[in-house]
Amino acid sequence: MFYSPVITNAAEAAGHKDLHLFKYIEDPQQHKIETYEAHGGYKAWKKVLKGMSADQVIEEVKKSGLRGRGGAGFPTGMKWGFVPKASTKPRYLCCNADESEPGTCKDRVLMERDPHGVIEGMAISAYAIDCHLMFIYIRGEFDHCRERMEQAMDEAYARGHLGKNINGSGYDLEMIVHTGGGAYICGEETALLNSIEGERGMSRMRPPFPAIEGLYACPTIVNNVESLASVPHIINRGGDWYASLGTEKSKGTKIFSLSGHVKRPGNYEVEMGFNLKKLIFDPEYGGGMLDDKKLKGVIPGGASTPFLTPDMIDVGLDYEALQTVGSMLGSGAIIVINEDACIVWVIKKLIHFFRHESCGKCTPCREGTGWLEKIINRIELGQGQPGDIEKIEDVCGNILGRTICPLGDAAVMPIQSAIKQWRDEWLYHIEHKKCMVKTNFEFK
Amino acid sequence: MAEATAKKDTPEIAEQMVTLTIDGKEVSVPKGTTVLQAATQMGIHVPTFCWHPKLKPVGACRMCYVEVEKMPKLQVSCALEAMDGMVVYTDSDTVKQGRKAIIEFILLNHPLDCPTCDKGGECDLQNLTFAHGVDDSRFDFQKYRFVDEGMTTTFDDKRIGPEIVLNRNRCILCYKCVRANKEAFGEYDLGVYERGNTAEINSAPGEEVDNPYSGNLVEICPVGALTNSDWRYKIRVWLTTTTPSVCNYSSSGTNILFFKEEHKNKIYRVTSRPNDDIDDGWLADVTRYGYQVVNSPDRLKKPLIKKEGKQVEASWKEALDVIGKRFGEIKAKLGGVCVGALVAPSLDNASLYAASRLMRTAFESNNIDFRGDYRMLPDNPESPFMILASQPFRIADIDDSDVIVSFGSDLVKEHQNEYLRIRKACNFSNTSVFSINPYAVKSADVARQELVYKPGTEEIVINGICLAAIEDDLVDRNLAVGLKSRIAPAAAAEAARLCGVEIGALRNVARALSEGKKVTFFTGEIITRSRERDLIATALFNLRKLFKMESKGQMAALARYANSKGAEKLGLLPEPKPALKSKLTSIWGHDPDCPANITDAMMAQIKKEEIKGFFIMGANPMMLYPDREFVKEGLEKLEFLVVCDLFETETTELADVVLPLASWAEYDGYYVNLEGKTQKALRAVKPMGEAKPGYAIVNSIVAALKTEVFQSDEQIHSQVKELLKLESVIPIPDEFGDVHPASDDRGGEYNVALYVIDDPHHSGYLTEKAPSLANFVSEPYIEISFEVAAKLKVEQGDSVRVESEIGKVILPAKISEHITNEVALLPRNFASTGVTSVMMRKRRVDRVKLSRVVE
Repeated sequence: MFYSPVITNAAEAAGHKDLHLFKYIEDPQQHKIETYEAHGGYKAWKKVLKGMSADQVIEEVKKSGLRGRGGAGFPTGMKWGFVPKASTKPRYLCCNADESEPGTCKDRVLMERDPHGVIEGMAISAYAIDCHLMFIYIRGEFDHCRERMEQAMDEAYARGHLGKNINGSGYDLEMIVHTGGGAYICGEETALLNSIEGERGMSRMRPPFPAIEGLYACPTIVNNVESLASVPHIINRGGDWYASLGTEKSKGTKIFSLSGHVKRPGNYEVEMGFNLKKLIFDPEYGGGMLDDKKLKGVIPGGASTPFLTPDMIDVGLDYEALQTVGSMLGSGAIIVINEDACIVWVIKKLIHFFRHESCGKCTPCREGTGWLEKIINRIELGQGQPGDIEKIEDVCGNILGRTICPLGDAAVMPIQSAIKQWRDEWLYHIEHKKCMVKTNFEFK
Repeated sequence: MAEATAKKDTPEIAEQMVTLTIDGKEVSVPKGTTVLQAATQMGIHVPTFCWHPKLKPVGACRMCYVEVEKMPKLQVSCALEAMDGMVVYTDSDTVKQGRKAIIEFILLNHPLDCPTCDKGGECDLQNLTFAHGVDDSRFDFQKYRFVDEGMTTTFDDKRIGPEIVLNRNRCILCYKCVRANKEAFGEYDLGVYERGNTAEINSAPGEEVDNPYSGNLVEICPVGALTNSDWRYKIRVWLTTTTPSVCNYSSSGTNILFFKEEHKNKIYRVTSRPNDDIDDGWLADVTRYGYQVVNSPDRLKKPLIKKEGKQVEASWKEALDVIGKRFGEIKAKLGGVCVGALVAPSLDNASLYAASRLMRTAFESNNIDFRGDYRMLPDNPESPFMILASQPFRIADIDDSDVIVSFGSDLVKEHQNEYLRIRKACNFSNTSVFSINPYAVKSADVARQELVYKPGTEEIVINGICLAAIEDDLVDRNLAVGLKSRIAPAAAAEAARLCGVEIGALRNVARALSEGKKVTFFTGEIITRSRERDLIATALFNLRKLFKMESKGQMAALARYANSKGAEKLGLLPEPKPALKSKLTSIWGHDPDCPANITDAMMAQIKKEEIKGFFIMGANPMMLYPDREFVKEGLEKLEFLVVCDLFETETTELADVVLPLASWAEYDGYYVNLEGKTQKALRAVKPMGEAKPGYAIVNSIVAALKTEVFQSDEQIHSQVKELLKLESVIPIPDEFGDVHPASDDRGGEYNVALYVIDDPHHSGYLTEKAPSLANFVSEPYIEISFEVAAKLKVEQGDSVRVESEIGKVILPAKISEHITNEVALLPRNFASTGVTSVMMRKRRVDRVKLSRVVE
């Protein structure tokens, strides 16, 4: 539904010189180790092994201000610092490549086209937390990614970037490519750990946090692909350089997956704080609305974030700015919806997804999403009852903030905002038993 | 979890207290306590579905919401650690609203079939809906229904095990059953499948839920999703009353509750009566369903007298007249020493004491024993093994032991509750368990290392551990020198070779024992039944001294039966300990001066016609004593045999008079568990037919003999109490003892070691009369490894001929995934096949020849 061709180094064309994640993304040979090394790859890894201590690496990443790109935006360096230094247990690093948030397709591009960048980032991060076994947990459906990552891993082993006594430094590091079974919930870090352990993919109670007690009850760091892929660049060019990009609190660049009713959907790497309106309408980027229809709304950070209406989109794409307009940066999946889309239909699609992906562990999410889907389906079919909207709002309230993991929140936040922004459309559906939007649009 | 960890790792933190305010009242609790526990402690009820005191919290049901100041969201109190200065509200409007919402969510797809649901009346969901829920439903859709192929209605249940019935529509997905099964029992036959609101609990594909703890799953189910055929649709819970009791099949004395109906005089079920010192609220299936023998229609209801070679029903008066006459004749003609007795160690204190007194005063004979099921060589009360068996042992001490060694004990088959205890220790703290056995056992799944030694080399293993410690310089060098000259072989490597264990494993045990701060070391039935048990005990004493274990932890041989410890303490052995003996003499004013014979010697004496009369109470030597032919010849030769039992058995068949014995559920009795703790089991129902409790039978026999009449029941009780107060622990000798490996008579072609065990679902010879337990296993089998099966070319269920030098039986093969070496396990719980006929009473390890039966 949200598949889109990759159009990437538009930003550089637009005169932006500090692209790093996507710099060589269009080189069809970039996934090969020779090309990667020719482009300066594994330089940072060698630099770390030669002369940096784990603390220095953590310090550099802290200085860079890098924040988790998976959605929560937690400072990466600080997360690494939580690994107890005194613990005698082994530590693990898990790269979260279970990219399943509807609309998000950035990690997939990185893994398919620049897998060595991911491996190098993982290796440096593993070094920073004194870990000797790292995992990459790839979404089950991403078979091509798995192939590419496995190839790249084999190449890295063959070149001596992984394995025993890497580059004569005495540091050992092994890597395992692990694929999921196809569950959105396994992108949640504790469910991901359960899945690697061979358990059912269900989130765990926190505390203990994974940094203290994670995989096999040992200290574990789980980072997103994009976060880890940024690390080699931070080491190469310094934390200060990275911190010079972006806004005051949101540093660096970020890949946005632009999809929906735009002329040029695709992945764009831009500086943090880039204007959303510009991203959608600038001919170098989104190129404006498809068929020049009117914009109805935007989901700025993946299916689980609240909607923005056209009057709200003149906003910077960073953690703080989006919060001020009541939404979130999330994973950076921007879904653009035009005036032809029925909001009830959009929400029906979303709630179906979340109901289907609820793991079933905690009551509100398990039962609540099922109930919501039933009510929303009925409204969409023109069988809505008076009071259904209030019921939806009430059920949403009983889910929000009351579940173990954020899936419950993710399911209800877009619903709540869709009702808030387009209440008249919902009411019309119930009262007139039909849609207010003239042509019932089908996503292609 | 946090609580246990804190207690173990850092004792100084355990004392650290935190003070918080709950509903306006301040409370101080140890750091690591959850808010739920703190509230419960204050008497505040916080509703839960998924929380279980013995499992790690998961926070799934969200029923235990509380509001905490400075925390924006509702918190689940089951997983929220109490912190200093926390201000908690368990009953605010937000909390009430939150709980109401949860009940509403849970009821969305719950069939409101309470009138036909077996859980009605004791259902958590029913109760909490009344307390916290709403009266009407806002859900106006079709409820989700699970319907399997072959089910005609949605109310059809699905049988997922021999006993357990599942109704997924009622399930509220609290996951307690799956968690308990995995976490507490180490079983994987139950799981969660699918996800979201169509997630379901079900048996693992192709498997049945038939583990020996499966009954607990039914008990902890908060709704009527899991029920068992033992209880369902038999009676409504509010029509029953309860009686507290203890289990009669396990030596730990698991606390139980009988549910019975007064007017029908019938027990309907057994549930747990949680006692954290003993059972943690878990019951093995044999404890839960074993009560059914009490209700069995096959019970003996009237005395039987043998007339012209046939046993016919008679009145008690007739029976007692015959007993008085015949025993009187033997006593008058040949003296009381020509009478012997064998009693069961599962009888209560009063019955055992009365039997002992009957023998020693009325007959003035020392021929009495309670050990009717294993090979015995002459022993004295202070032989090393008896010393080991007398050592104190506390079940609860397992919890915080950092090293646990289970030696010669197939826990799941004999000490089921202790296995769960060890699992718990492993789950909640950093405990190292070592399992040392002649074959791989299920309970070793929690072990850091499993040592499988060659059958019959127990003392070499222990010597090997000592030698490994000496060689690795882990122990006091002076002690090391002292020990080295007393034991053989001389090097750990040689010991490792002889016992077939890797030397690294011996070293690991040695290191753990030397580093352990609190060690629990116990032996089980494989040691107790070994001919060389005294030698093994000496080897263990050496080890104890070498590792200075006197000051850290406990070492004991665990008692096997419900009242073994009581029998020992009351002097049911032919030769009681000196202190006990003098006490008995002072109470009775008698001291029979005659030879003391253990069971084996008594049988030999019967054959020599030196014992003519015999009294058996609750024991079945024909079925349980090694070498069936030997016992049979003996019992058949007797002039007069009286047997008291619940059922007609192979032993009662040989009796001249059979008396119906009341079961433990039918009278008040006291039992001493393996810790030496006396527990009361109250009478739940009236004895079936004319059955009488053991002490009453003995009293009537005494009356029939017209000798000295016993005192009242009260006097018996006070005398028993006095005896139990006597110190029963015999100090372990402080010197090293000589331990040179004993010979093990391996018999040529008879090369497979045979261990006679209890099936995990059975105990002793009575439980096959419990229909629920028979549903699990009702036929004997021979359990062998895949390798042995391949060698014999047999598959699961094929007939195998088991031959020893003296007998043979043919049994279906049960190929086990646990066993790895060349041993065969034979359950002794089924009367249909006399498994003891292949056992040889003088052998160290029984050895047999296995072959496939060609049809």
